[in-house]
Amino acid sequence: MNWKRYQNELIVLGAFLIMLFAYMYKYNHTQAQVTGATKSQQSINALKEAVGLKKIWADKNINKKITVLKTIVPSSKVKWIKKKQKITASYKGLSASELNKLTGKILNLPIEISLLTMNKVGTVYNVELKCKW
Amino acid sequence: MSFISKNKDLLLVHSSMGRVDLTGSVNIMLTPEFYTLKREELPVKYAYQAKKIAPSLFDGLLEDGGEYEYAVFKEDDHWSFIAYDIQKIVDFLESKGVSADKIGKIYFAQQAVEKFDKPLLLGEKKILNVLNNTVVVVPRMSVETEDENLETLKFDNTFTPINGGVSIKGSSSDLLSQKQAFTLASIFMLFAGIFIVEGMRYSGSDGGNNELTSLYEEYPSLKSTYTRQGIIDKYRMINQIERKKRDTIKSLSGMIFKGVTLSKVDINDQNFKAEYSCKTADAVKHVKNLAKKAHFHISNSKEKNKLIIEGTL
Repeated sequence: MNWKRYQNELIVLGAFLIMLFAYMYKYNHTQAQVTGATKSQQSINALKEAVGLKKIWADKNINKKITVLKTIVPSSKVKWIKKKQKITASYKGLSASELNKLTGKILNLPIEISLLTMNKVGTVYNVELKCKW
Repeated sequence: MSFISKNKDLLLVHSSMGRVDLTGSVNIMLTPEFYTLKREELPVKYAYQAKKIAPSLFDGLLEDGGEYEYAVFKEDDHWSFIAYDIQKIVDFLESKGVSADKIGKIYFAQQAVEKFDKPLLLGEKKILNVLNNTVVVVPRMSVETEDENLETLKFDNTFTPINGGVSIKGSSSDLLSQKQAFTLASIFMLFAGIFIVEGMRYSGSDGGNNELTSLYEEYPSLKSTYTRQGIIDKYRMINQIERKKRDTIKSLSGMIFKGVTLSKVDINDQNFKAEYSCKTADAVKHVKNLAKKAHFHISNSKEKNKLIIEGTL
């Protein structure tokens, strides 16, 4: 086989192959970067979610904040039992506005509501709350 | 492509020719020194059919060891077969300064037999002449003894046959000329360079790792994927359930308006139940509509104008 006969085609083929390899080199690096960026973004999202959730549901000041549920109504109307990270509170004879205030506070505190009952007796309300954090 | 080839100069190639200096590509006309001719009357209609049997016609006539190719063309009522060693021709042409890429079409002197109506001088000792309608190379002496005032032909481009002619690989009439090959190769290499530079640029960039690094620095305890996932699994569920409880309480509060009183609510981890006392039938209807919108289950109480709304969390 006389290679010289095909020298023009061989030159073009060689250049084409070099271009092909260069393209594969670029493609591999692009893909690696895209994969890396996706992984990084997933890690960032997971980390932000973990931080956000921890900030809400593992609030270190919740022990102080929770006392607002005791002080928001006159002490005579509250029976308050606190055990470690659990609270059982009974409210008796609450007016409508006191009930609204109490409900608003309960909803805004990062606590796990295990039980919330409310009964209307005449014109006043009795509330029982069991929660943990 | 053939009309382009005919515009090229025609170079007569014979064994006693001198070295030539070409600026562009040329067509070649070979003298009988470079081919073997055989005429046959064959019952075939087309040249490609005749070409198929060409090798068998030259059995024992050709020198061993050559790389022979065959050309066929019709002359009057018979076929003319030409066998030629292309490698030998290319090597000879290169020795005379005609590289393969400068060769356009190759013609055989026999294809222009009608043009050789007079002898054509090939150097000092040979002439190209026609005997029995066949172009042959004979010694000059043999003709001059017969005719002292020998009139000779001048070879030019008019000898280029109208049809036929063969191409060789690597010649200018191939798929790619040298110029085209270099142009294409340059374009490919340019793209290759662009791709390499781009590839290097991509390999150098960090793909958004800076933000992640700064977050790791801020929260070193969350570097571990397992720790992160553990926190997410633990609190995501709590977050989901507690938000649903709060949304339910808000929805239940939204059903209190003039003429409607919420008389009892019971919410635990799994479900909820609320009792509403309504003063009018319209109020009952309105509460029912609101409960339906919130996708709660509605059941009528035994007492008139009292509604029980319940659902799961």
